[in-house]
Amino acid sequence: MNVRLESLGLATVVIPEGRLDFGAAAGFQAQLEQVLAGAGSKATGVIIDCARLDYVSSAGLRVFLLAARASQRAGHAFAICALAPAVREVFDVSGFSRIIAVYGDRAAALAQTPLRTA
Amino acid sequence: MKQHTTVPSDAAQLSVLTQFLQEFWSAAGLPPAETVTFELALEEIFMNVVMHGSPAGRVARVEVTLDLCGGCLTLMIEDDGPSFDPLSLAAPDVTASLEERRVGGLGVYLVRQMMDAVSYQRLGDRNQLSMTKRVRATP
Repeated sequence: MNVRLESLGLATVVIPEGRLDFGAAAGFQAQLEQVLAGAGSKATGVIIDCARLDYVSSAGLRVFLLAARASQRAGHAFAICALAPAVREVFDVSGFSRIIAVYGDRAAALAQTPLRTA
Repeated sequence: MKQHTTVPSDAAQLSVLTQFLQEFWSAAGLPPAETVTFELALEEIFMNVVMHGSPAGRVARVEVTLDLCGGCLTLMIEDDGPSFDPLSLAAPDVTASLEERRVGGLGVYLVRQMMDAVSYQRLGDRNQLSMTKRVRATP
């Protein structure tokens, strides 16, 4: 799995591409931890744009859960957007779309994420 | 249409099994929208087998069978590792808050929710988990 990062004001957009399975989960977790560590103590927003994510398993859901929780504890906004149908189904069945903010696309996520222009 | 393959109980084999499933899917001309249920079931159950280890002194063998019959696809995963029924795992609390949410048991829960039928048997020294879902409206 390939992961790209983009900065938009104080928000960081993380773009995972491909399959987030057991084999890819540890690497993705390390990258998200790096993004959150890079934010340090200043409040920011993290948006995971999943438009190019084809597949997620429980190993991948765990990474999203840990990142969302770490963001909440650090006072950072955290959102996920643009889920493909196969990924959306796993988020819905697991109940994760009720505990993590999920938006239709990046523009909607940015509009709802505080500090986007700060 | 029926195919099977056997691999050692090793996490590195997951990509081999995923490719086996994808090739079966293409060859059978199955609808792409249904593939996620089977890819997920294959990963969750195979990784469960890997995590539950092998008999002393050797690596367990895992046999994966795909059987398409009458519009229903059955994925059967058999291994000769220690006796373990994944369906005995407690379901996670899917209504828990972000702070309280746990991931244990989530993989098997997803499989049970997304498949039409799931059953486990211990047959001699083998675990056998069978998972079925209708993938085509007409046989």
